[in-house]
Amino acid sequence: MDRLTFDIYEVFAQTDPLAPHQHQFSLLASSPEMALALAQENFLRRREIYSIWVVRRDAITQSGPAERARFYRRKKGYRTTEDYRYLVEKWRRYKQQPMTPETMV
Amino acid sequence: METEREDPERVEAFLQRIDRGERIEADDWMPADYRRQLIRLIAMHGVSEIMGALPEKEWVPKAPTLYRKLAIMAKVQDEIGHGQLLIRVAEDLLAPLGKTREDLLDDLFSGRLKFHNVFHMPAPTWADAGIIAWLVDGAAIITQGMSLSSSYAPYVRALQRIVEEEGFHIQHGESICMALAEGSPSQRKSLQEALERWWPALMMFFGPRETDQATSHQQANLRYRIRTKTNEELRQRFLTKYVPRIRSLGLVPPDPTLHFDAEKGEWVYQQPDWNWFRQIINNQGPRSQARLTLKHLTYEEGRWARAVLAQA
Repeated sequence: MDRLTFDIYEVFAQTDPLAPHQHQFSLLASSPEMALALAQENFLRRREIYSIWVVRRDAITQSGPAERARFYRRKKGYRTTEDYRYLVEKWRRYKQQPMTPETMV
Repeated sequence: METEREDPERVEAFLQRIDRGERIEADDWMPADYRRQLIRLIAMHGVSEIMGALPEKEWVPKAPTLYRKLAIMAKVQDEIGHGQLLIRVAEDLLAPLGKTREDLLDDLFSGRLKFHNVFHMPAPTWADAGIIAWLVDGAAIITQGMSLSSSYAPYVRALQRIVEEEGFHIQHGESICMALAEGSPSQRKSLQEALERWWPALMMFFGPRETDQATSHQQANLRYRIRTKTNEELRQRFLTKYVPRIRSLGLVPPDPTLHFDAEKGEWVYQQPDWNWFRQIINNQGPRSQARLTLKHLTYEEGRWARAVLAQA
C-alpha cells in the first residue's frame, strides 16, 4: 500500500498581544490550514491563545549542532548586569557614608 | 541501515556529553544504540498513551453526570494528544532509518511493539475509571517525573506538556474516588473492589525489581541517562506517596504483608505474579486482543480519511 506523506510543521503560539510567539511542538499536515487547525486541537486546548504561527520545518534555517556547541554556556557577563551586582552593596555604603572631597584624598 | 562501524572516540565524546548533563537534540550525532534505545522507549510510551485511552473511553457514554462526561472526554483527548506528541518525537528519530508512524502502528498490531502492561486490564465499573485516573496516572507521573531529567531534549519537551496535563488527570481521578468513598455502602464497595482489581497491575506497573544483572536495556538506559532510577526505586516512591492516601479513604490494599519497614527504609509487599506480567505484555492479558482489534479496526476504517487529508 502507498505510504502517506505529510509535511512536518513547527507550531508557535502567542498567549497575549505582548508575549512573544513561543515554540509549542511539531505536527504532520498536508497544508498550512490543516496545520493551523491541528495545532489548536493538539497543543492549545487549555491555555488562552492570541495568535498561532505554523511554519513548514523545511522552511526553517537553523544553526545546527556545531553552532549549538559553540553557543553553549558561553559567559558574557560584560554584556549583562550580572557583572555589576556589587554596585547594590556599594550604593548602600555610599548612602550611609557619602564620599566627600576630604575622604577622597 | 546503520551498519557503518562507529568511531570509538566519537562514542566516547558522546558519553562525555551525557556525563556533563548536556541534552541531546534530534540532529546531534548519536550512537546507533542510543537511537535504538530511545525509539524503543518513546514508541512504547507513545502507543501506550493511545492504547491507554481505550479503557477510559469505554466510560465516556456511561459517565454518571454531564460534568464527569466532559471531564473524562477531555482526559481521553489528552491521552491521544500525548500519543501524538510522543509519536512525533519517535518519528524524528526514525527518519534516518526511513520509517514513519505507520511502521510503529504496524509493529503494534503485529505484536513487535508492546504497550504498557497496565492497559491490558478490564475497567468494568465507574470506580475503575476513578482508580485509573488517580493511581494509574499517579504511577505514570512518577515515571514521567523521572524522565524529565532524561538526556534527550525533544522527549523532555514532550514530557513537560504531558506532565502538566497529567496533573489535571490525577485530580479528576481523586475527585471521582473521593466522591465514591464518601458515598453509599455500595459505592464504597465498588471502589474497594476496583482497587483490588487494579492492585496487581499497579504493583507490576514499574516492571520487575532489578536483580544484580539488570537487563542490558536498563543498563544502557541508565548509562545514557535516558532514565535515572530503577524500577524498584520508582515503585517504592509510588508506595510512599499513595499507600497513606489510599488508606486515608478507608480503602484496604489487597496485600496483608504490605508495610513500611522502617529499619530497611523501604516498603515490603507481596510480589505480583511476574509470569502473568510477561503473558500480559505479550498481548495475552484479559483485554489485550480486544483492544488491539478495536484499535486496528478504527485504524483501517480511518485509512480513507488519512488518505484524503494527505492530499489536501
